[in-house]
Amino acid sequence: MAWLEGSALGHAMRTSGVWTYGLVNLAHILGIASFFGSVLVLDLRLLGAWRQVPLDSIARPTVPLAAAGFAVAATSGLCLITTNATEYVGNPFLLIKFPAIAVGLANVAVVSRLSGWKARGTRDLSSREQWQLAAAGAVSLLSWLTAVGAGRLIGYW
Amino acid sequence: MHSRFSLWIIMFVLALWTIPAAAHHGWSGNGTEEFELSGIVETGVSLAGPHATMKVKADGQVWDITLAPAARTERAGLKEGIIPVGAQVTIHGHRNRDGKRYEIKTERVTWNGRTFNVYPDRD
Repeated sequence: MAWLEGSALGHAMRTSGVWTYGLVNLAHILGIASFFGSVLVLDLRLLGAWRQVPLDSIARPTVPLAAAGFAVAATSGLCLITTNATEYVGNPFLLIKFPAIAVGLANVAVVSRLSGWKARGTRDLSSREQWQLAAAGAVSLLSWLTAVGAGRLIGYW
Repeated sequence: MHSRFSLWIIMFVLALWTIPAAAHHGWSGNGTEEFELSGIVETGVSLAGPHATMKVKADGQVWDITLAPAARTERAGLKEGIIPVGAQVTIHGHRNRDGKRYEIKTERVTWNGRTFNVYPDRD
């Protein structure tokens, strides 16, 4: 944490004007909004909502939007944490947030290997494949909700 | 069947969002009584991060002084480097509710006859 705070990025964040932190915080929120909004729609579809809409039709806009939102959130988040990294030592919400993000990303890796995910839009999925996708959707929703919730509460500790 | 399941999930999501925060960004994590501290500036005003900060040492204890957001603190005239390290200051605000945390959420800083009122709308 001391290393993060002492980094060139941390120094730049601290010395580039009184509005910098607020504007980077805005980018972080916009990134999370795009990411979580897309993930929410996709996960609810995996869990069985809007079954009349083909999974591939929902995946096409939500997956790239989620990826872009995650990139924005991760980049701006790194800037925010380097600003005053040592302040977060001992913050329990940080210790919930980052493992939750790790679970969420591992789940993305698992989903991308599921036969049901790869075959979407090409054929009807078996009920076993649908259950696998639904389980992955549940893990996704829980991990990202935990990450977003814990992240929001960091500042309240 | 499936739409009922989805509805349950959505209600669960909404319920999670209503979990109240124990301590708050605002003033509720700090005591309601006015608190005043006089001491020596250990670390000068920093306008970095979500709130401007400084550190003040009094009776051998270093206190974390949380000021207003950076732009607001600056508007109150309290810019970085104005109060030198080692100067005698008086902090007026509300101390953290947790007795083990030496932190004050600050309304006013007095130094050398000048008062920097970072929350003029508060007593």
